[in-house]
Amino acid sequence: MKLDLTPQDAWQPLPANAWNEAAARHLLRRAGWAAQPAEVDRLMKDGLAASLDRLFPAKANPMPEPRLIANIEADQPGFAAKLRAADTRDQRQILQREQRERQQQAVQDLSIKWLQFASLPENAVVEKWVFFLSDVYVISQEKVQNTAHVYRFHETLRQGALGRSPDLAKAVSRTPAMIQYLDLQDSKTGTPNENFARELFELFLLGEGNYTEQDIKEAARAFTGYRQQPGGFRLVKNQHDTGPKTIFGKTGPFDGDDVIDLAFGLPAAGRFLPHEMVKFYLTDEGLPDSYLAELGSWWQTTGYDLRLLAQRFFGSRLFFDPSFRGNYIKSPIQFYLGLVQDLNLNVAPFQRHALNALRLMGENPFRPPNVRGWVGGRLWINSGTLSARRQLVETLFAPIDEDTLNADEQVQLVAARSAGLSNFTVTDERLQAMLKSMNPDQITARFLDYFLPVRVSETFRTNVRTFLAGDGAPKNDIERLRNTAVTLLQSPEYQLC
Amino acid sequence: MNNPLHLLPTTRREFLKLGGRGIGLLAFSQFAPSFLVESTLAATPSPEKDRSILVLVQLAGGNDGLNTVIPFDDPEYYRLRPTIGIKKEETLRLNDTLGLHPSLAALHALIKDGKAGIVQNVGYPNPNHSHFRSSEIWETGSASNEFLPTGWIGRFLDNACAGAPGSEGADPVAIHLTNEMPQAFLSDHPHSTFGLNGGGRGGNRENLAFLEKLVRQDAHDENANASFLKATMMDALVTEKKVQRVIGGYHAEAQYPGNSFAQSLRSVAALISAGTSTRVYFVSLGGFDTHSNQLNTHQRQLQTLSEGLAAFQKDLEAKKLDSQVLTMTFSEFGRRPNENESRGTDHGTAAPLFVMGSRLQGTLHGTAPSLKLSHNQDVQFSTDFRQVYATVLDKWFSCPTDKVLGKGYAPLTFI
Repeated sequence: MKLDLTPQDAWQPLPANAWNEAAARHLLRRAGWAAQPAEVDRLMKDGLAASLDRLFPAKANPMPEPRLIANIEADQPGFAAKLRAADTRDQRQILQREQRERQQQAVQDLSIKWLQFASLPENAVVEKWVFFLSDVYVISQEKVQNTAHVYRFHETLRQGALGRSPDLAKAVSRTPAMIQYLDLQDSKTGTPNENFARELFELFLLGEGNYTEQDIKEAARAFTGYRQQPGGFRLVKNQHDTGPKTIFGKTGPFDGDDVIDLAFGLPAAGRFLPHEMVKFYLTDEGLPDSYLAELGSWWQTTGYDLRLLAQRFFGSRLFFDPSFRGNYIKSPIQFYLGLVQDLNLNVAPFQRHALNALRLMGENPFRPPNVRGWVGGRLWINSGTLSARRQLVETLFAPIDEDTLNADEQVQLVAARSAGLSNFTVTDERLQAMLKSMNPDQITARFLDYFLPVRVSETFRTNVRTFLAGDGAPKNDIERLRNTAVTLLQSPEYQLC
Repeated sequence: MNNPLHLLPTTRREFLKLGGRGIGLLAFSQFAPSFLVESTLAATPSPEKDRSILVLVQLAGGNDGLNTVIPFDDPEYYRLRPTIGIKKEETLRLNDTLGLHPSLAALHALIKDGKAGIVQNVGYPNPNHSHFRSSEIWETGSASNEFLPTGWIGRFLDNACAGAPGSEGADPVAIHLTNEMPQAFLSDHPHSTFGLNGGGRGGNRENLAFLEKLVRQDAHDENANASFLKATMMDALVTEKKVQRVIGGYHAEAQYPGNSFAQSLRSVAALISAGTSTRVYFVSLGGFDTHSNQLNTHQRQLQTLSEGLAAFQKDLEAKKLDSQVLTMTFSEFGRRPNENESRGTDHGTAAPLFVMGSRLQGTLHGTAPSLKLSHNQDVQFSTDFRQVYATVLDKWFSCPTDKVLGKGYAPLTFI
């Protein structure tokens, strides 16, 4: 990577004369999932600064609680009572198995509902930002099991996503999901569990090399007594270590919140989240430290305001630099939601469309592989995952065969339709409408400009145009249009943004 | 005008030719079609010891071991299974105490011929009853409380040991005939592996040809990721075409049943017979999770397994490839010794597995489990699954076991 910008210039706002439609599309694809024509028009009308203000608002829209989650929360006291009343190990096992299956259904439902929520243009940018934060503050439903806790955890991220970073870290440390995921549950005076303290420094706030093993041991003592209970967080006083601790060279009777404030006192805290943003949004190659330090020291002066950080990052000269156009391999979730937006579809309500495809492409929502989250980049791509990506595109262009749906899927389909969702695949009528309103040159231009993140060569364009024209027989128009779109969406270029 | 169906190179020679026009060889050599590039740079024939092939057959869902290899002489067996126990006179005798399920006739004949064997009561300490987790333990070769990011086959591929494949051929080193890449294949270093979906890829030929054309195209000033994607996709398309051609033109010397499991084995035979230098194949047969009314289901499953394996072995023998191939089954767990109220069985622990090939020694390995068990108690394993892996690695692949499994395990004697 060759960068002409100095660290000082890199984070300056993009000059007005560099703001154009290609830049707007770049912003929409990177900060959100895709560049929909109407959104591009709106960005051009509003300008960059006003758009960033709108795309990263003061407060995120809350995600409505899925019904299955609400049911689990409502039944929680009842389930605990039933478990206590069970006489034998067998009965308890049966109850627990039922509960696991219920949680399993709930996480699938949550995944679909989240994909539907995140695919809406008004939520896309903030939800990707929340998704980014969940790739920093990682938990997994696999271990947490309780899907209601998983949902609440993400609501916590959502509520804090555009506020101050230390507040978010403190809120996260109190969530039942995190308490369970990183074993704070059993951490008490005398026998502190170091798991959370270690990941807090290494993966959430500072990065490796910015703390000592002794810092972790001492910090772990500050988080003793953190417990989950019905209704939320509880600090159990007699299991909480109130003694003096020495962390980052400072000594005092620190509690968990103090530890987080101490960590944010280090310059490393300013660099860390920008570093994660670069990896998640910009390039898998990372940036030299001098660029991160420049942004980090400014961010520190804002009191670690996440909204300001996002707006500065996505409005910067560096973000729009040519080195970062069309160089980023889409994650499976970005690929899927990008398709949904590019094709103007609704997320289909059953597992076999979205969730099976995501699993085959290598990314299970709410179930990252480990506490590091997804590594991404080229690791997303192999012959198997590419084949899954191609298959997904074909699925989105084939009508749903309602006769083959099972009973659950039929119910889900009816429910989705009554909620106003019905565009699950690209129909012949939609292709017909496109053919009526545009000529082949316009269609070629629309596909290439809006689907692909790079300006393609003339031969490439001619090839597409020729394939679209085919033998010229009007009866095959729809077929050729569909084939052209499918192939472009399967092409290597579309895997990039 | 090029024939659109033959736009992509399918041989190293074609690839080299292509390098002269359009897609530069050097542009790619950093990234994927590594098998093409490396073999272009150093085309050396693979030594004979590197020709040994392993076919893994996953019995997904948890195969009921006690109704597969039946201890008909043990009254405990019939006590635990009053309704689903297989009657002594129905079993296919292995010896005075053990018999095979009656639907395993074809496999029984192979055992009598010394071409198949049974490793009894295979499991691991502190067994896990989750499909997902126990499969992961088997596929990564981990301990029950250990989480490994790589699979045992992946680590075999990673290893620079004598028997491990590296850059010797133009073919994927491992092929899975399942929708998902098996965890067993996950590796630290990139290898050319390939997935051949059961039903083959959808999509029409016209699209495929157009996609190939686009992949060949210089679309724009390429960055490293774009080149990587193109190379990987070209890799996949080249392999896909080659594999489809091999399978499509294959003349088997045995009658394979029409089910997709047997057809997958037929595809494996086709690829082996074409001289593909792939070392590991992964095939899966699902449907073993028999929680209720299992008699008929399990009977059908075992019949599918037995007839598929027998056709595969017969085919390989007719083609004189049998001495090169070892086939091995595995399942994430066996099932609970006592039947449940629904005439089925719940998730259990250790179970027998099958090995098949022409170079096997002995037919019955390990010891059968004790069935003096209380209600819902599981059998205690007697052979660790990693001993089976160690045997394959050490005696079949000549690969140092500890590098793949973390430490040594006492090998068995089936090879």
